[in-house]
Amino acid sequence: MSHHKKGHQNTQDHEKENIEVWEDLVHIKDLLLALLICSVTTLSGYFIAPSEPPKPLFFGLFGALIGFLITSIIIQPKRTFNGTKEEK
Amino acid sequence: MDITLLLQMVGIAMLAAIIYTIIGVAPGTDETATIAPVILVLVLSGLEPILVLTFFMSAIVSSKLTDSIPVALAGIPGGVMATPQVEHALILKKHGLTDVTIRKMASGSVIGTLVSVPVSLLFAHALIPFADVIKEYGSSLFFAGAIILALISKNRWVALVSILPFALLIEGLRHLYWDTGVVPAGTNVFISFFLGITIGPMIVTLFGLLNKEKRDRLERFGKKDIYFKQEKIDGIKANPFTILTKKEIGFSSLSSAIGSIAFILSPVGLTTFLGEVFTSRIKDPVKKASLAIASMDALANATYISGVLIPLIALGIPLSPTAMGPGNPLFNAPPVFTIDHNLHHILSNGDFISATLVGAIVALAITYFLTIKYSRQICIFVFKRIPHEAMLGLFFSLVLLLAFMDGGWMNVAGVFLVGFVAGTLHRTGVNYGVQFMTLYSAPWIISLLANL
Repeated sequence: MSHHKKGHQNTQDHEKENIEVWEDLVHIKDLLLALLICSVTTLSGYFIAPSEPPKPLFFGLFGALIGFLITSIIIQPKRTFNGTKEEK
Repeated sequence: MDITLLLQMVGIAMLAAIIYTIIGVAPGTDETATIAPVILVLVLSGLEPILVLTFFMSAIVSSKLTDSIPVALAGIPGGVMATPQVEHALILKKHGLTDVTIRKMASGSVIGTLVSVPVSLLFAHALIPFADVIKEYGSSLFFAGAIILALISKNRWVALVSILPFALLIEGLRHLYWDTGVVPAGTNVFISFFLGITIGPMIVTLFGLLNKEKRDRLERFGKKDIYFKQEKIDGIKANPFTILTKKEIGFSSLSSAIGSIAFILSPVGLTTFLGEVFTSRIKDPVKKASLAIASMDALANATYISGVLIPLIALGIPLSPTAMGPGNPLFNAPPVFTIDHNLHHILSNGDFISATLVGAIVALAITYFLTIKYSRQICIFVFKRIPHEAMLGLFFSLVLLLAFMDGGWMNVAGVFLVGFVAGTLHRTGVNYGVQFMTLYSAPWIISLLANL
């Protein structure tokens, strides 16, 4: 999947380049990155876990949460707020 | 009941309420896709059945309560069930009544929960004498269900035609797994196929992205504009019975009761239908919209709770759209739960009542308070901090994990295939209900076809 994102790399963030997946907007490159990160952290969690159930499942789930946190930090949501001062 | 268990129940209900307050607010998150995988993980992890049910109840009550918040604040539904409310919420927003909307919605949810729990429990017990007759026809009932759901759906012919080929795909993969020894013969891979159907539309979109021409032709957007009105939500009148008018309380209760008894029907369809019926005679747009908002929220909660509780208590087979969707792992999550051994068989009457009450009360206490007081802050936090990409990544990786656990790398490819076909069918107009029913009745359909 990863070599497909080359063509979109040098585009600018604020231009019209987001697509709609599941009722909200995403950037293709960011989406691929998110899928990759979450999959890797989840499966790593699963494989490094001691092989007595339900530990692999828990480690996998934990990995998924780590992936979620990482992607939440490095990817900006594609939403802007208008007509309001943003509250803290 | 001993105190340790009760504390555990309260604890897990609090956890669910917090998690699903956030997920509920996030736009576009489908209830089946966000609740079912998490419940599956809990079931498979060997968590006590009563705790799983408590978590589930808290999760649906809090996500139903919060998925309407972004509707009120920004006209964006937080989930599929909140979609019918959008037009009414926009009317109230135009009149500058966003804070009132949120209070009415939250109060409607409270009423829906309060009404549906006792009604579901009573109705389930009334159904028990007929349970054996209903269960005897288990598999054929799901097949009939697939046909009925297909016939009442908008694109009935496509849905009808899809049933046999889709059953063929599912059983075909299962037999392949048995032949190659990836899965022991006779073990039905179920969970990951179910999830494949759930994330089908997303899989189709992802596949499409790999095609350069298609990718270039996709419609491009800037950022999603979200309009918030600068208004203070102040003064916490937290009593739902003073927030709603008498008429709103009456109609919300009535629609919740009807919704609970009509648990077999589609919650979204029922919400739209009853909402329109109850409000069609009111002229004043503001009164009409606020009545619609309150009763729709009540109804959404009620159909969700009853849709799971009634089949769970009375039947033990998932005979409603809610039970087929988000509640599915409570009925079928092999090897822990199967159709012949699930919560219905494990939990006692008292367990059902206590899990439901603890889950619902804790969720209401936490989420109701939070939504009334901090709806703006929660919404802004989720919209600004949680990228949609992270949500998609999280659920994609959960599906990947469960697919791998079910049948190794071969099943990962199999789930992609199921997802691709299911997503394509979905786009062509075959709804989830028909696909889930087909998944359940696939072995029966195939043995029927083979003996023709």
